[in-house]
Amino acid sequence: MTDGPLIVQSDKTLLLEVDHPDADACRKAIAPFAELERAPEHVHTYRVTPLALWNARAAGHDAEQVVDALLTFSRYPVPHALLVDVADNMARYGRLRLEKHPVHGLVLTSTDRAVLEEVLRAKKIQPMLGRRIDDDSVVVHAAERGPLKQALLKLGWPAEDLAGYVDGEAHAISLSFDDWELRPYQRDAASAFWHGGSGVVVLPCGAGKTIVGAAAMAHASATTLILVTNTVSAHQWKTELLKRTSLTESEIGEYTGTKKEIKPVTIATYQVMTTKRQGQYRHLELFDARDWGLVLYDEVHLLPAPIFRMTANLQARRRLGLTATLVREDGREGDVFSLIGPKRFDVPWKEMENQGWIAPADCVEVRVTLGDDERLAYAMAETEERYRFCATTPSKTRVAEALVRRHAGEQVLVIGQYIDQLDEIGAQLDAPVVKGETRVREREALFDRFRSGEIGVLVVSKVANFSIDLPEAAVAIQVSGTFGSRQEEAQRLGRVLRPKSDGRGARFYAVVARDTVDQEFAAHRQRFLAEQGYAYKIIDADAVLDS
Amino acid sequence: METDFATWLRGRTDDDLCALVAARPELITPVPTHLNALAARAASRSALDRALDRLDAFSIAVLEALLVLPSPLSRTDLAASLRTGGEPVGDALDAALGRLGTWALVYSEDDALRPAPGLHQALPRPAGLGPPAEEAFAHYPRERRETILADVGHDDLVGMLQDPLGVARLVADVGPAAREALDNLAWGPPLGTIRNAMRPVRIATASSPIEALLARGLIAAVDDDTVVLPREVGLWLRGGRIHRTLPARPPAVDGRRREAELIDRTAAGQAFTAVRAVEELCELWGADPPGVLRTGGLGVRDLRRTAVLLDVPDWAAGLWIELAYAAGLIAASGTVDGEWLPTPGYDSWSVRTVAERWAVLAATWLTTERVPALIGERDDRDRPVYALHPALQRTVAPATRAVALRALAAADHGVVPTAESLHERISWEHPRHRDPRRDQMIEFTLREAEQLGVTGLGGLSGHGRALLAESDAAAVLAPLLPEPVEHVLLQADLTAVAPGPLTTELGRALALAADVESTGGATVYRFGEESVRRALDAGQSASDLLSMLEKHSSTPVPQPLRYLVEDVSRRHGQVRVGGASAYIRCDDPVILDQLIADRRSPVLRLRRLAPTVIASRSSRDVLVDALRSMGYAPVAESLDGDLLVSRLESRRGEPVPPPGATRPAPPGPELVAAAVRALRAGDEAEHAIRRPIPAPTGGLPRSAAAEALAALQAAISSGLRVWIGYLDAQGQATSRILEPARLEGGFLTAYDATRAAVHRFALHRITGVAEVDEGEPRD
Repeated sequence: MTDGPLIVQSDKTLLLEVDHPDADACRKAIAPFAELERAPEHVHTYRVTPLALWNARAAGHDAEQVVDALLTFSRYPVPHALLVDVADNMARYGRLRLEKHPVHGLVLTSTDRAVLEEVLRAKKIQPMLGRRIDDDSVVVHAAERGPLKQALLKLGWPAEDLAGYVDGEAHAISLSFDDWELRPYQRDAASAFWHGGSGVVVLPCGAGKTIVGAAAMAHASATTLILVTNTVSAHQWKTELLKRTSLTESEIGEYTGTKKEIKPVTIATYQVMTTKRQGQYRHLELFDARDWGLVLYDEVHLLPAPIFRMTANLQARRRLGLTATLVREDGREGDVFSLIGPKRFDVPWKEMENQGWIAPADCVEVRVTLGDDERLAYAMAETEERYRFCATTPSKTRVAEALVRRHAGEQVLVIGQYIDQLDEIGAQLDAPVVKGETRVREREALFDRFRSGEIGVLVVSKVANFSIDLPEAAVAIQVSGTFGSRQEEAQRLGRVLRPKSDGRGARFYAVVARDTVDQEFAAHRQRFLAEQGYAYKIIDADAVLDS
Repeated sequence: METDFATWLRGRTDDDLCALVAARPELITPVPTHLNALAARAASRSALDRALDRLDAFSIAVLEALLVLPSPLSRTDLAASLRTGGEPVGDALDAALGRLGTWALVYSEDDALRPAPGLHQALPRPAGLGPPAEEAFAHYPRERRETILADVGHDDLVGMLQDPLGVARLVADVGPAAREALDNLAWGPPLGTIRNAMRPVRIATASSPIEALLARGLIAAVDDDTVVLPREVGLWLRGGRIHRTLPARPPAVDGRRREAELIDRTAAGQAFTAVRAVEELCELWGADPPGVLRTGGLGVRDLRRTAVLLDVPDWAAGLWIELAYAAGLIAASGTVDGEWLPTPGYDSWSVRTVAERWAVLAATWLTTERVPALIGERDDRDRPVYALHPALQRTVAPATRAVALRALAAADHGVVPTAESLHERISWEHPRHRDPRRDQMIEFTLREAEQLGVTGLGGLSGHGRALLAESDAAAVLAPLLPEPVEHVLLQADLTAVAPGPLTTELGRALALAADVESTGGATVYRFGEESVRRALDAGQSASDLLSMLEKHSSTPVPQPLRYLVEDVSRRHGQVRVGGASAYIRCDDPVILDQLIADRRSPVLRLRRLAPTVIASRSSRDVLVDALRSMGYAPVAESLDGDLLVSRLESRRGEPVPPPGATRPAPPGPELVAAAVRALRAGDEAEHAIRRPIPAPTGGLPRSAAAEALAALQAAISSGLRVWIGYLDAQGQATSRILEPARLEGGFLTAYDATRAAVHRFALHRITGVAEVDEGEPRD
């Protein structure tokens, strides 16, 4: 028995004791092949999944290294079954390879004939392949490069894509360092991506993913298609690119609901790309409008299914995915792996915070108690109405008001799910409300005023969950959420995590009605924060109201 | 010959005999009556087969040489015949001969070695050689033999073949194609298949190489389709050598070299997992037992479900289930609708240390005749074989496991043997075996050994070696296992991590207040509303729970956890539920006061719930009657909704002895010694020339029946001779000197010294018992 910091569990999770002197070394050793699942204060949980192992394999690690890391750092003997499983899984990646053949074009080759035979017999695979060249290789129809990779991953034999990329139309892009420079991890992320060819960079909200994107574009120096979640985000990308790169207004095009510009760098939204008319995607030709040298996906974990299908046809172009988390609510992590690429870089949230790249945050749960008649009404409410009822209790409005008073002079965001409630709070606080029906131009104006400090309090609905850069927001008050979505909680916390100019910490309040489903959902959502190491504190509404 | 063998056997010392029957225990099951019987049994085909199955390749080669060469043979001649390319076989030969002698497979007198009788039949084709010419041509009709002799110009077929020059001359004649055919048969098997082998052939008319050989008597027809190479021809073709290769020493078991410590640690990790898995299995089945199939055994669906719950492949689940069964941890309950339940044996097993628990499982695995790997296969009647089914029993299983593990143990500690190397070693150690699936069984054994943590990364671990050596494996394993810890790490995400196995008490407390989320070296618990409520339901208070956590946590209790416990406890018990058979309600509290105060009311077991409500544990009808008799006029109210509180309990089956091996365990030293003593005595009885002792003359002893009985009993226990009077079948009074042996069922069994034979005497015909004058004890 050694005194290592790591405990290997039989369900293939790894427990890392963070206070152990060897914890850092161990974290570095296991990070390539294990996904960090939870990072509360004492013991971090990593999980070894086939995808994580393939990611490690793609990054050049071999099974020996993985087994060695486990054996070196494990406190207790490691079950043999797990080691065998690791070796087996890792050996699966790279047995099949997609390569460029000087005569036959795209070919699938194998170092293991039995594996090739196995996949050739699969019904789904057959139509994607052409003539058998020899025992170990077979022609692949060029258009099937993506779908084939997807199908192979499903069979458990992920192919290594060595067929290379087209250079695309060259277009000079460089970073313009006027008053800023690349943070070390941003540089590492961009170069890790570039050397890997295609793939995903995982960075927490507020860590400057846009800049990683810009750096990748500078590496490529080619025409670039950027896909983002919504119009506001598209504008922010544009602003950021203008500021950080040599690109000028005339070189950046917007392809959104309102504008359809195609320029050397084009920013399109997922929404416009997935718009259908008469059953046809209207804007598919955008992908072929130029000889793109790089396709960039923002918030990969939200990538809609049709975009996956379109991406399957873009396998010859370099692709970069940016996201805060690889976890997808729909479980399509495998498609991200096969179509966009393996994970190329990531840094855990807490580490970024420790290095000062994102603001430290305090999370507080404020519990309000329903009045007696409210409780009666709550008990009688229809099941589907219950959450809405308790989430929008008037007591919450009072608490939100008190909290805003407490943080007078700071930039406060009030975030909620129900528009009525938000309107009411907006009226009470005399603050503008940004919701779905607010026009883009108006939204941006409000965000600008908030950024400049002209407005101190902004009430926002879930439209502001993603990709809106509000660096100075220091306090977020969440009055209601989308039931138990952990994803949302993380995004909302992300709103206040950008480092503040004066180095202040951020505060995240969740106002919750006691003894109701609201509390249950809140517990579920907060689990994510606790697991990210943001220990939250619980206080009583009276404590807020009295002060 | 046979008498020689028996005489030789008789001449062995008691120690020799002990060694013999210890090595070949089948010889004394049951104990033969005398040494002649022992000799006969030792020469029987079945006993020889069993002994040969346990022999290594070199010992068998030595036996084969003895069978091939003329008997008796000196050691020097034997050694000369065992030439193996110059490698001296001296020590190995002595060791082999020593072993064969001990096993009574070779017997010798003054350096004249002979194979034990019966071996010729047990090894009909030693070293792949055909039968001697005499035997091979025995069934040829005389005319045919004469034809051959006439053709080759010789007068004695056997003599001709025994002469190497004669064979050489014949072979030189036949031409290259026939020579090739001979060479094909030379190193065995000596049989060839051709059509119409019995056809008459002459040298002059031989039209094929085979016919040329048949016509010269170089091969002999066995039947219509088969020909055989006579032994003499075979030996000539082999250039006088009996064996082509003769590995005198076991091949070394070799493979990849790893750190011994790494192997031990990996195996220990798996051992820990194994114990956890069996424990989890028993706990699962205790709460939710699967049914026993009508044919016995466990249904496929239950096996799958268990495998899913244990998160292991089906075969591993089968292994854990069968092991738990063989170790007596689970058994079928005796009820009509049988269920598989943990036994009380499980409870006592589960309180032992992990290492001890592992040792129990591993020892069970080593000796059980049950073969879990056969689950899911089909039996002789093409029915699937279920887990826990009686059909999973294989008597050879323990022996095969021992063979495989011994081969593993032959490698140095730290060496992971290659499959080929293991196979070679096993083939040398036990070239003969009767199990057609032995290779597969060995594969199963290696797979299970790894799963059980006997081996790690494919190499035999230190505790595995201890297990095989029957020393204290638990003590070797224990230092490699996680030590129990007495603290947990509490975290704000409402989890508690126990960084090692917990002490039993703390483990129970945590399991009550939190749900287990993951197990392994550590255990992760998650607190939730339900789990906290469970602890409160079990009678703990919020402060009990929190102080328990504070005591065992190395860090402060996180605020959200404190809130959770307090939140749940705040609401816990606000609403109360109880059981009552009936109630009494009355709008006037005074009447109820009166009722409670009434002297006749205590038998009704009333309890006041509220001013206007009384609950009672008596039934409604009883209450109504009682109240009427007390002078009230109650009216019964119809009500359904008696609340039944059911609690899920972990159940236990009846204690059932674990399924024992059908084959008796090998005899221990005492049993062996006793058997030899019995043999000697029997033999003496058989052979000793015992002079009849004349019965004393004079009046027959007379004594009362009870006294006679007592005297006989005393004689049995003291071993003294007695003098009795006995009325024989004809009613004649006779006088005898007896050595009483047994008294039962109204008969005395005794050695009649007067007639020198063992007889049974009817007690009622014994007229009396008296002491014998000489009075010396037997033997």
